[in-house]
Amino acid sequence: MTNANDFISQLASKLGRSTPTVPPPLIDFHVPQYRLSNPGERSTIFLHNWQELGGKGVIVKTEDQTVSCLKEWFGDLPLSWIKDNPQAILAWDSLPTLAETAFSTLNWPLARYTMAAPDPRERYSIAAQAELGITGADWGIALSGTIVTNSSAQRGRAVSLLPPRHLAFIEASKLRDNLSEVLEEVSALGSPPSAIEMISGPSRTSDIEMDLSIGVHGPIEVYVIVIDT
Amino acid sequence: MTMYNSSVDQRVDAALANNFLRQATRRATDRLRHNKYKATDELGSWEEWRNAGASIRSHVIENLDYYLQQLIQQTEKRGVQVHLAKTPEDAVAVVRDIVQKHDAKNVIKSKSMISEEIYLNHFLQADGVLSVETDLGEYIIQIAGEPPSHIIVPAMHKTRQQVADLFEPIAGHTLSSDTPTLTRFVRVRMREQFLRGDIGITGCNFAVANTGSIVMVTNEGNGRMVSTLPRVQITLMGMERIVPSFRELDVMLNLLARSATGQRLSSYTTILTPPRQSTESDGPEEFHLVILDHNRSEILGDKTFRPALNCIRCGACFNVCPVYRQIGGHAYGSVYSGPIGSVITPLLEKNWEKWGHLPFFSSLCGACSEACPVHIPLHDLLVKLRARKTISGHTPQIEQQIFKAYRYFFTHEKTLRRALRLGSRLQFPFVRNGRITGGPPPLSNWTKSRTLPMVAPKSFMQVWADLKLNRKSSE
Amino acid sequence: MKVSLFATCLTNAFYPGVDLTMAKILKYLGHSVDVPEGQACCGQIAFNSGYIDDAREVARTLIHSFERSEIVVSPSGSCIAMIHHYYPFLFEKEPVYLKKSEELIKKSYEFTQFLVDVLKKPDLGAKYPIKATYHPSCHATRLLGVDEAPYKLLEHVQGLELLPLAEAQLCCGFGGTFSVKMPKISEAMVAEKANHVLASGADLLLGIDMGCLMNIAGYLEKINKPVKTMHIIQLLGEGMKP
Repeated sequence: MTNANDFISQLASKLGRSTPTVPPPLIDFHVPQYRLSNPGERSTIFLHNWQELGGKGVIVKTEDQTVSCLKEWFGDLPLSWIKDNPQAILAWDSLPTLAETAFSTLNWPLARYTMAAPDPRERYSIAAQAELGITGADWGIALSGTIVTNSSAQRGRAVSLLPPRHLAFIEASKLRDNLSEVLEEVSALGSPPSAIEMISGPSRTSDIEMDLSIGVHGPIEVYVIVIDT
Repeated sequence: MTMYNSSVDQRVDAALANNFLRQATRRATDRLRHNKYKATDELGSWEEWRNAGASIRSHVIENLDYYLQQLIQQTEKRGVQVHLAKTPEDAVAVVRDIVQKHDAKNVIKSKSMISEEIYLNHFLQADGVLSVETDLGEYIIQIAGEPPSHIIVPAMHKTRQQVADLFEPIAGHTLSSDTPTLTRFVRVRMREQFLRGDIGITGCNFAVANTGSIVMVTNEGNGRMVSTLPRVQITLMGMERIVPSFRELDVMLNLLARSATGQRLSSYTTILTPPRQSTESDGPEEFHLVILDHNRSEILGDKTFRPALNCIRCGACFNVCPVYRQIGGHAYGSVYSGPIGSVITPLLEKNWEKWGHLPFFSSLCGACSEACPVHIPLHDLLVKLRARKTISGHTPQIEQQIFKAYRYFFTHEKTLRRALRLGSRLQFPFVRNGRITGGPPPLSNWTKSRTLPMVAPKSFMQVWADLKLNRKSSE
Repeated sequence: MKVSLFATCLTNAFYPGVDLTMAKILKYLGHSVDVPEGQACCGQIAFNSGYIDDAREVARTLIHSFERSEIVVSPSGSCIAMIHHYYPFLFEKEPVYLKKSEELIKKSYEFTQFLVDVLKKPDLGAKYPIKATYHPSCHATRLLGVDEAPYKLLEHVQGLELLPLAEAQLCCGFGGTFSVKMPKISEAMVAEKANHVLASGADLLLGIDMGCLMNIAGYLEKINKPVKTMHIIQLLGEGMKP
């Protein structure tokens, strides 16, 4: 394989110079970013755009509201899932408090993904057999109806990927207007986490005769609860 | 790879005779084009975004040495194994090595045009490795043994019935050809593959130089599967696919999603800064980044064609191209088709005999340049490639003679006048009802499908000269 | 104003009436018109075929012909686009001719552009009652930016009913030598354009580039569905007759 120095110096010579040692200047560009004139509308707009993509969503203020919304969405299904598979509802190690208490109230037991099995392959297979994956989120983007999650030791990337349903909780304070704000905050973290997943709606494809079809690989149903306390 | 053996004319004839293909191409490109307009109109400032995108891409390409060096340092620092491949053969060798070292039998792939460019599946299959394309469209064409017909919708040319027919032997039972059934079949089938995959191979939409991050966009989620589940990941990238930092990534992701499919963001945008940290539960432990040159450095050194490296593979030029609209992707014969394919294929492959037709797959209408989100002057590059081909001596003798004659007559206007007068007399054998309806080649190429007006008995220059003469004599 | 006509190779040989009418209209508007000798072609046909050395010499000849002109006007957006878009490239290594080509660029216009943008004369008092549709040529619109001017002229033609042309932005498949080098693709393109023209319900197809019109009309005639075709110049010329 080509040695890196040779590879780079050959590129430099193609550019008519020797390998640069100082960084190039910052690129001068300006784009008018999407900004909400009324930040109070951010949750509503985020939700609207999320729903346009085929997701379900709601804004809640209290635990009661959370409980009744979960009941409305899933009914008694979770209880029957659990009967067949105790790990049918898979979650990150910790979720926002309001979410945790809501699930206790409902008596829907959450299996914690990272502790589900010691071997990664086993974990993946558990996640693939789960009915619902539950995560928090680090940011949301109003303009595109996107939720953004950072990977970490307590989270697991498969939770929002392998189960046929994904439910995310996001605090309203984590919503931003546009992608650039999120990326700016990612930059400020210094070293980014090993994976940042930006999710805008369910898995979709139009590969067969341009006919839109949902859920070819990733979640088929996606839900978001915006916590605005 | 059968497609590549037929001649250009045969491929064009086959495409033009394929009504489904032509309808499908129109449907797909019309849909994608209109979605794009919706997504760019709502921004209200598309031109500013385009200009920013063009500045960013040009800046990166002009400083590719620096940014690539930075990317290598940043990724290696975190434990990524970087492989620099000068040629497709080198890149294939790297991947085969890794696969063999791990004794991997199941390779799962998300979409990578580099993989197509180096014919990776072909080689892996020869090694007895099951290498599965997981993007639905790519999976369809993999089973069919065909190259992509559109850079974003690779199996656009297949009917749902053809897809069902391709899937049936794998399913072992009959499948109805409705989309939900076909999609569900793929979901179940691919799940097994995803969970079994020893090695994941992905493409790379952007690599962020200052953090060593790899950015992938997909709509199906297969990119996430392939980059989450296997223990080993190999990412293939063309060496120009870089942005300096997250600041520029914002612009590029907006341009890509809106130009490609008219989405504000693709369903899944994944930013990997690999490999996984030791405490994390998911993601590859071992990460290989294969960076391919394949004559991209030659393009970099050629100022005329350097802008071709600015491409972000969005496919917007496909969706406005009137030539692509009529013939679809396979008639081009190349992995990259459409306007950008006609530009980069001759530059990457450096073989005029094989790819000399591509710069001529264009009426030079300029729709591609108008659509490009990073302002690549595609039609200019096509016409300049034609000049390169001529200079390299790969054009027919007779054509060279014709243009020598053209040059003579059109630099001697008085002689031209006489020639036109002569022409107007000699044309009669070919004239029916006042129109030219036949003639020797290359004129016959026109008259097969069109008539031509008669050469006027007096050219305008002659008419004007005569008028002037009359005026003078009457004065 | 003293206006020099650039007749273009195509109209010179096949459609001298277009050039002559252009001269008449400009004279009618009170301008003096000349047609410098020696002019023959912008060089595009060779340039687009990859023969840039041949194109350069033809371009040089054209530059010479118009060296003493104040204003140059042509009935083709494509030919003017060739000058504006590619002459600087053709002469990038010849400073003298680079300067000359820049001078030519500054003073050269496509006819509708000249009438509407320079002379500010969108209304010539023409009258032509007919249902027409208009094909916007690619080079005029995309390379030269002549977009609105033809429509403004047509708006002022009394009795003219302009019908929309579907997928108007699509190239007609002419592309100069493209039409003979890739004849089957070109035919497929012109067939689609012709279908849109027929479907428009118009009795007249208008354009500002005779290349495209020759292509579309030639195809329509070959399939025995001839549609009357005119350059906007011809329409104005006819409509201005008392």
